[in-house]
Amino acid sequence: MPRRKAGALLPLENEILGVALTMLRSGHATFHGFGLAQTMRERTGSRSLTAHGTLYKALGRLEEFGLLTSRWEDAAAAEGRPRRRLYTLTAEGARVAEGTLAHKAVAPLSRVASRPA
Amino acid sequence: MTPERMAELVARWVRFYTRDLPTPIAQRRIDEIDADLHDHIAHERANRAGDRRIALGIASRMVRGLGADASWRGRHAKAAADPPTREETMKISKTVYRSALRVALGVALFLSLPFVGMLISDDVVWSLADFVAAGVLLTVIGVVLELALRRAGNLPTAFGIAALGVAAASFGEADDAPGLVLLGILLVVSGGALGVRTAQHSR
Repeated sequence: MPRRKAGALLPLENEILGVALTMLRSGHATFHGFGLAQTMRERTGSRSLTAHGTLYKALGRLEEFGLLTSRWEDAAAAEGRPRRRLYTLTAEGARVAEGTLAHKAVAPLSRVASRPA
Repeated sequence: MTPERMAELVARWVRFYTRDLPTPIAQRRIDEIDADLHDHIAHERANRAGDRRIALGIASRMVRGLGADASWRGRHAKAAADPPTREETMKISKTVYRSALRVALGVALFLSLPFVGMLISDDVVWSLADFVAAGVLLTVIGVVLELALRRAGNLPTAFGIAALGVAAASFGEADDAPGLVLLGILLVVSGGALGVRTAQHSR
């Protein structure tokens, strides 16, 4: 696992923010742990889901950084199954996610542009 | 192994690594993983995955996350062991201050009786040493009573205090200064109160 620099986000945390932003733009303001793991699996084409420990540790840290907030799902909405923890991207989280996506979009172009002719 | 059995195994692991952590933190992790496991099984079954494959998928997620689980626990255990917050420290200080004030007022009240007696009668004669000795004994009694009010002590301490009181009452005489008999009785009562409190807490 890469060592974290102060204030720096790990690739998984950036990926979570990216997924959260995409979901927000598609009208899903909240997401839950398994739903997130499933969406990330589909996006990356991976065969396996993100591990429990890795996923919830990353979500907890993003919440500590103020990039996500969370609350428990209403008992009525759960309809008998265990209640989900619902996460929401904060304004700061959306800003960071947009910055990361923009950086990803620009980075390959920069590499191409810096090549000698 | 069925997915439900594997989910139960994961739930046990979660309960194991969240043990002794602050309840809100531990319970949140337990409930969140429970919901995840339920959703995982429901999703895979809806996609007609076989039980064996679902169970293996759950096991894989648990095993790959073991390192992160241990790291998460370590961070929260360390945070839980941190010294009390400023508010907690202030609350403790306030409680101790109030207890000390009660004991001091009680001791002053008791000592004022022989002092007033000396002012209005020639029969009461206490030296400075008598006042100091009585002050020390009364303080011990006050502290013991405060302990009995706030928390259980231990039975040997309660018996020791009561024995000291019995000795003071036995060796003292009615006209002793500073009244060893009275102080002895107070010590017996204090020791008894602490003993009763301890016995109540140990049930």
